[in-house]
Amino acid sequence: MRELTLIHLYPDLMNLYGDRGNIVTLKRRCEWRGIQLNVVPVSLGDPFDADRADIVFIGGGQDYEQAILQDDALTKKRDDILRAVESDVVFLAICGGYQLLGSHYLTGEGKRIECLGALDVCTEAGRKRLIGNLIFDCPFLPEENRKVIGFENHSGMTFRGPSVNPLGRVLYGHGNTGSDGTEGALYRNVIGSYSHGSLLPKNPALADFLLERALLRRYPAGERLSPLPDELERKAREGLLKRFLHTS
Amino acid sequence: MAFSAKTSAAVLAARFLTFTMRLLGSGGTSLPGKVALRICPDLLARLSGHFSILMVTGTNGKTTTSRMVAQLLEASGLRYRTNKSGANLASGITATVACATSLFGNPKVPWLLLEADEAAFRVTAPHLKPKAVIATNFFRDQLDRFGELYSTLNAVREGLAGTPDSLLVFNADDSLCASLGIGMDTGKAASRRLFPFGLSVSASPGSDAFSSDAAFCIRCSTRYRYSASSYGHLGHFSCPSCGYGRPTPAILCETVVAGPDSSRVRIVTNRGAYEAEIGLPGLYNVYNGLSAAALAEALSLPHDAVVKALASFERGFGRMESFQAEGRTVQIILVKNPTGFDQVLGYLETLPGPVTPAFLINDGLADGTDVSWLWDVDFERFAARFASRFEEQAADDAAFMAVSGLRADDMAVRLKYAGVPESRILICPEPDAMFLDALARTPKGGTLCLMPTYTALLALRGILAKRYGLRDFWK
Ligand SMILES: [Zn+2]
Repeated sequence: MRELTLIHLYPDLMNLYGDRGNIVTLKRRCEWRGIQLNVVPVSLGDPFDADRADIVFIGGGQDYEQAILQDDALTKKRDDILRAVESDVVFLAICGGYQLLGSHYLTGEGKRIECLGALDVCTEAGRKRLIGNLIFDCPFLPEENRKVIGFENHSGMTFRGPSVNPLGRVLYGHGNTGSDGTEGALYRNVIGSYSHGSLLPKNPALADFLLERALLRRYPAGERLSPLPDELERKAREGLLKRFLHTS
Repeated sequence: MAFSAKTSAAVLAARFLTFTMRLLGSGGTSLPGKVALRICPDLLARLSGHFSILMVTGTNGKTTTSRMVAQLLEASGLRYRTNKSGANLASGITATVACATSLFGNPKVPWLLLEADEAAFRVTAPHLKPKAVIATNFFRDQLDRFGELYSTLNAVREGLAGTPDSLLVFNADDSLCASLGIGMDTGKAASRRLFPFGLSVSASPGSDAFSSDAAFCIRCSTRYRYSASSYGHLGHFSCPSCGYGRPTPAILCETVVAGPDSSRVRIVTNRGAYEAEIGLPGLYNVYNGLSAAALAEALSLPHDAVVKALASFERGFGRMESFQAEGRTVQIILVKNPTGFDQVLGYLETLPGPVTPAFLINDGLADGTDVSWLWDVDFERFAARFASRFEEQAADDAAFMAVSGLRADDMAVRLKYAGVPESRILICPEPDAMFLDALARTPKGGTLCLMPTYTALLALRGILAKRYGLRDFWK
C-alpha cells in the first residue's frame, strides 16, 4: 500500500474557518484510492522533520495566535521548512499560513514582522478587509476544472517577487491585493492561497494535483491517481459558478 | 434629564413605525430604531435612567438565556419589556427602549431585558448603564461579520469599561469570558461586583476537545492546562506560567443529570443550595440556565423563582421548537456555529426511534456568508454514530439525511466526506419542498429534525405557519 505523510503545522493555532476541511478531503481522496495518508500534527516545541514530510499544511490563524507561533517558527523550524520547500515537498498554505511562508509582514503602524522567507512574497496590512466568495482561474489544472472556488477573508495584501508565479487569475472576488488581478502563489510544489476553509472539497482537481505531486516525488515509478466520480462536488461547483459567474 | 420635544418625537416615531410594521406583518425590526436615532442621536442616554436594565451578550445562547431571565423576572413578579426575535443590534435595542417609554417620557415598565450582540453591546452599554450584564460565552461565530474572536471579546470589554457600576455575571469556565473579570479589581472598576458561574469537576463530562477556540493563555500565551472540561474550550483551565485561571464560581452547578428533554441540576451559591430542572436538553442549556441562576444571585431574587423559571419557559424561536405533524414529531433547532452544531448533533444521537436529520444551510448575511464553518462541525463522529441506523432501516430504505437551502450542495459534499453514503443524502434546495418530502419519508412515530441556519429558518416560515399554525413564531 502506498503511504503519504501530511504534516499539519500548528493545528492548534492555525485552524480558522474550517481549514480542517482541506485535510479531511486529502485523507478521504487517498483512502478512496487505497492510499494511506498519515496526518502528523506538529506544533510549538515539536520538531519539524523535513525528510518525513510529503505534504505540509498550514492554515489561517488569528493575529493573537499567529503572534504566539512566530518565535517557534523562526527559531526552531525555519531551516527545516526551507529545506523541505527546496526539495519539492508539497505545501498548501492558507491565509495566515501563506503570509508566514513569505519574507515579512508590514503592519499598519509600519512595523516589520519577520516571516520564514521560504517563499518570495511579502505582505502589507491593508486598510480594508477583503471578504467574500473568491473564484480564480488556474491554468495548470485540467481544462474542465480550471476554475477554483473559495472564500477569502483577509486584510493583508500580498506581493510576489519575480521567482513566484501567481496561483491563478481572479475571476470573482479580490485575491492577493484586491487590485492586481492575481490570487495566491505557486513556487516549486508550494501553493499559497487566501482561499481558506473548504478550498479542497470544492476543488477536487486541486486536491488531486497536490496528491499527484506528492506521489510522484515519493514513488517516481508508481502509477497515476485513479479518477473518482466526484458527482456531488461537480454539482456544488456548477451551482456556485452559475451563481457568481453567471455561466450556464 | 429633561424630556425634550426631540426625545418625544423620536419616541413617537419609533412607536408609530413599530406599530405600523407589526400591522403590515413585517418581520423587519431595524427601521424604527434607526429613525429614532436619526431624530435624537442621544436617545438611549436620555431614556435609560428610567429603567433597571439587564443586558445579555456573548456569542452563544443569548436568546435562550434571555428567555430564561424573562421567566425569572416573571416568576419574581417584576414587570419588564424585552427585545424579541433576535433584534439584538443597536437599532432593535433603541426601538425596544423607545417603545417602553410613554410620550411624556415615563417608563411603562420598571425593567428592560436587552439581548445585545457584541458590537451593539459596545455601542449601547455605556449609554444604557445596565444594572447587570450577563456574558454567556465566546465561541467563534460568523467571523466574516465580526472579524475575529478576540475583537468580539474586546467589543464586550469596551462596552463594560463604559459602565463600571454594572454587576457582571459571566461564565467562569470560559477562559475568554472569564478574562472580562481580569483587572476589574483595580482602578475605576474596583467596586464592580462579579458573579462567575461554572460547572464542578463532577458535572463536567470531559470532552476530546475536537476544536478549541482558545487553547492558549489570553494573558501570556502559554498553553492552558485543564483539570476538567465540559465542551469546546469550556472547563477548569489554568495557566502554568502566569497564574491566570478559572475564577472560583460564586454560582456553582454541582451535579448534572442529563435527560433527553431536560437536565436536573444542583446549584450551590452562598445563599444556599437548591435543585432545579432545566426544561431544555443539552449541556449548553445547563450553562444558559446557570447564567440565569447567577443573575438571580446578583439581583437577590428568590431561589424558588429560579426553579420555576428554569422548569417552564417557552422554547425560543427555532432554538428548540417541537410539534406533531402527520404522526411524526418535527423539531426545529437553529444552527449557527460549530460548537452549537456539535451539541445539537450530540442531542440527536440520544433520540430514540427513527430520526431524519435535515440540514438547511443558507449563506445570507444573517447566516454568515462563509459556509466553511461546516467543516469544523464533527459530522465524522455523527456519520459514524448514524451508520448503524442506516443498516437497521435498510429494509424499507427509510434512513437518510436531507440537505436544503442555498448551500444544499455544499452540505451534501460535507456529509459525503464525513462518510455518509451518497445514496442516503436527499438533496432538495427548496426548503418547503424538502420539508414535505422528508416528512413523508420519515417513518410514522419518528422524528424529523430540522437544523436550519437563520434565514433558512425564515424560509420555512410559510409552510410552518400555514399548515401547522405556528403563527408569528419568528417574533
Ligand atoms: Zn498565562
